[in-house]
Amino acid sequence: VTGYRELVAAATVGLAQRPLSITVLPEPATSHSALLDTDPAAAVLDAAALLDAARRASGPVPASVQLPAPADADTAPELRPVAASIIAGVLRDGPADLLADLLAAAARAGFRAPAPLVPALLSVAVSSTALRPAVAATLGRRGSWLAAQQPDWLRVADAAAVEPGEDAWETGRLAERRAWLAELRRGEPDAARELLAAGWAREAGEDRAELIAVLAAGLSAAYEPFLEAALDDRKADVRRRAAALLARLPGSAYAARARARGTGVLSVERRGLRRRLVVTLPTEPDDAAKRDGLDPRPPDRRVGAKAWVLTQIIAAAPLELWPELLGDDPAGLVRLPVADDFGTDVHAGWRTAALRQRSAEWARALLHAGDAPQPRPGWSSDEALAALLPADERQTRAVQLLRDTGRPGVTEAALQGCPPPWTRPLITALMGFLARGVDTAQPGQIGALLPVAARGLPVDGPVDYAAEFRRLADEAPQTTVLPTAYRRAADILDLRRRFHEELH
Amino acid sequence: VSGRWSVDQVLALAPDAASATTARTLATPSPWSGTGATSDLVWGLCAGSGKSPYQAIVDLSGPAYKCSCPSRKLPCKHALGLLLLWAMDAVPVAAEPADYAESWRRSRAERAAAAAVKPRGERDEQAAAKRAEQRAQRVEAGLVELERWLRDQVRSGMSAVSGSYRHAEPVAARMVDAQAPGVAAQLRRLSTVPASGDGWPERLLGGYARLHLLARAHAQLDTLPPELAATVRSYVGFPVTRESVLAEPAVTDDWLVLGVRDVLDGTIPSRRTYLRGRETSRWALLLAFDPQGMFGANPDAVLRPGTLLRADLHYYPGRPPLRVALGFRHGEPVPAPAPEPTLDLTGQADEWAAVLELDPWAGDWPAVVRGIPVADGAGWRFAEPDGASVALRLGGADPWVLVAVSGGHEVIVAGEWSAEGLRPLAVWHGEAAVPL
Repeated sequence: VTGYRELVAAATVGLAQRPLSITVLPEPATSHSALLDTDPAAAVLDAAALLDAARRASGPVPASVQLPAPADADTAPELRPVAASIIAGVLRDGPADLLADLLAAAARAGFRAPAPLVPALLSVAVSSTALRPAVAATLGRRGSWLAAQQPDWLRVADAAAVEPGEDAWETGRLAERRAWLAELRRGEPDAARELLAAGWAREAGEDRAELIAVLAAGLSAAYEPFLEAALDDRKADVRRRAAALLARLPGSAYAARARARGTGVLSVERRGLRRRLVVTLPTEPDDAAKRDGLDPRPPDRRVGAKAWVLTQIIAAAPLELWPELLGDDPAGLVRLPVADDFGTDVHAGWRTAALRQRSAEWARALLHAGDAPQPRPGWSSDEALAALLPADERQTRAVQLLRDTGRPGVTEAALQGCPPPWTRPLITALMGFLARGVDTAQPGQIGALLPVAARGLPVDGPVDYAAEFRRLADEAPQTTVLPTAYRRAADILDLRRRFHEELH
Repeated sequence: VSGRWSVDQVLALAPDAASATTARTLATPSPWSGTGATSDLVWGLCAGSGKSPYQAIVDLSGPAYKCSCPSRKLPCKHALGLLLLWAMDAVPVAAEPADYAESWRRSRAERAAAAAVKPRGERDEQAAAKRAEQRAQRVEAGLVELERWLRDQVRSGMSAVSGSYRHAEPVAARMVDAQAPGVAAQLRRLSTVPASGDGWPERLLGGYARLHLLARAHAQLDTLPPELAATVRSYVGFPVTRESVLAEPAVTDDWLVLGVRDVLDGTIPSRRTYLRGRETSRWALLLAFDPQGMFGANPDAVLRPGTLLRADLHYYPGRPPLRVALGFRHGEPVPAPAPEPTLDLTGQADEWAAVLELDPWAGDWPAVVRGIPVADGAGWRFAEPDGASVALRLGGADPWVLVAVSGGHEVIVAGEWSAEGLRPLAVWHGEAAVPL
């Protein structure tokens, strides 16, 4: 019997070298064996045609595979078609922050993302970490089931609140272990501490960095020995986080050391009624200082090595030190001129300290000091500082900036830091600022404010801000960016309104 | 009145990707004024760079487009932007069309009426018969040469062309001269097989054998049953005019659009749209060709999976009948429920075998099946709950939309069945078809 394999072998080498005489073909072509051409080459092609058809016809034979465990049924409904097509459009064309807002609104209204969109949403959230919480919140059980099939997607899904299982600590993923530890610390803080310390040496570096971050909530002096030991960790992230946590424990040995290093770098010089801050540049950090997290290498060429050490010393020292030492409150201190152009270095340190030690008082003072935005790397932004203030105070601050005709870069950041819903005074101040238009502000500054306004203005109220923006677009100087910027903002408001209507 | 189209449906009309992108920027209310829509017309004025706005009109029943802008693309970005706006429910419904829209529609209707078929003169017919005779002779001579070439390949050994990706180019060019473009296209596909990795000799011999079979069948065309003869002629590349197909009796049915696939790597880019009749249960394939891969202006190429169109279809000759010309439409496409699979995977494999019995050159055949996409090593399979499965042909695409819609549960998939497995084209998510 001459099978297809024999035909291929003969045709590959060539019948000239390897003659093949075909007598009988296998089933189901056997009965056609007599039809083959007398020319040997044509006979091989005849036979191949018969067997090829038979091979292709037997084509996809059902075979056995292992089926996956299916996704559990979801309780939350999928977004309805119109809302889904809005999400698909923004997913395709951006902007990303609008996508995050819409998804978050959908999740709040109890909807989940439509299954066909989930792969694209997961993929975009892999590259854009800012989108992760919003995407994770709309996954539902179907989306979580899908995310579990790719490691990258799983990281996105883990941005949602994870419900840790019983043996999560021993066998769970990092996100589950984090959630489990946080829960145990709320109920039995001592047991949690002992458990963490007991297995610490066996944890992987990345896991140590993630687990130590869990201690930020409900931090107490009981953790000092553990954190002090973590300053000697092999992993830089662990050392850095341990130092930041120790800085928040006022009675710790670390705080005492930071205080000692801080004492002496700043002093007040009086000349008549005028006062200014004078810097005494620190020496090269010794080993003990390096252990406490002082990095002798500046992040950028624009920052001098000694000035960088100065910034870090100020950032690490307990903030109570400065009023004691310099005899003024934070609001007074941040307004003092600093000798020899070290103002940015000193304020960079205070800003980082305010963030680490979560001091609303210092944040308030620094925000009022009027530093230029982002003058250098390692500079903690106004936005981050503003986040330390209570929500109503943030809105008040934004109102003030808008009434004062704003400061480029600062005003939109302040507005961005106000979580919706915006208060009536804030909206009034914003619309007033826009109405004054180019009489008081640069077109670029207004243009930068509009995307923030388009995200934050309410779309569920009686006022149609989109129509208002289109009117302003017609009135704005047509040679500037403003007509386009206003129309784009109006379109985003329309889109948000339609989406909002779909959710209710 | 049928429902408004979806955004994706509108974007499918775009002549190219750039048009789709610019159209989206126009799909906002800002540049538009005086927009309106009736059941079959959408119109509006779009502010452009010039003094007066552009008048854009779309006749939904075509669809046909009209715009006063200078763009030569059809549809232009204004017409597309207007349709997008309409698809997003941002165009108000009007009782009467605007004047300029109404007068355009009237003039179109008049032109259509004027273009009544003009009878061909006797002289034309004689000339056509002479051309057909010449072509038949050229094809016959060409296929004799092809047969000689095929035998030479087998005699001298296929190993001589190992790794080559253009070994059949010269003979393919010869088949173009011999007016057998179908054979030329198959040879061009075979040309790359020796460079296609493991198992290429099996695939190449199979391809040679099918061409050999085609040449043999063509040599005895007169003795074959008429349907088989038509199939052979279509693979060789004899043209069949749309007019002659439309002259055949129609099959009237509610045709469910099952799946669409663009084939862009062929000589001429084509779009394949698969349909199934609700009452007749017959399969149908609409083929649209465009050298630039722009299908937006071709009314046969803009049907969307998951819609139902009541229409007269006319089958091209051949067996089993599949390719159709779309004749009279009894209405507009309307949303349709999910198709009900009539065969399980085993039954589908049996149908495929029956298709090959009628047409041994067939590459694939439409299918609607129910199952679960399952990862299997590096590839994916489509399985029934008891574990019986076939390979999924993804052609490099990822399976995740299909997997997401399935969630590990059974889903209804429409696609192309072939010896290599199932190529999914659409999956039903509840009542909605999701193109893959």
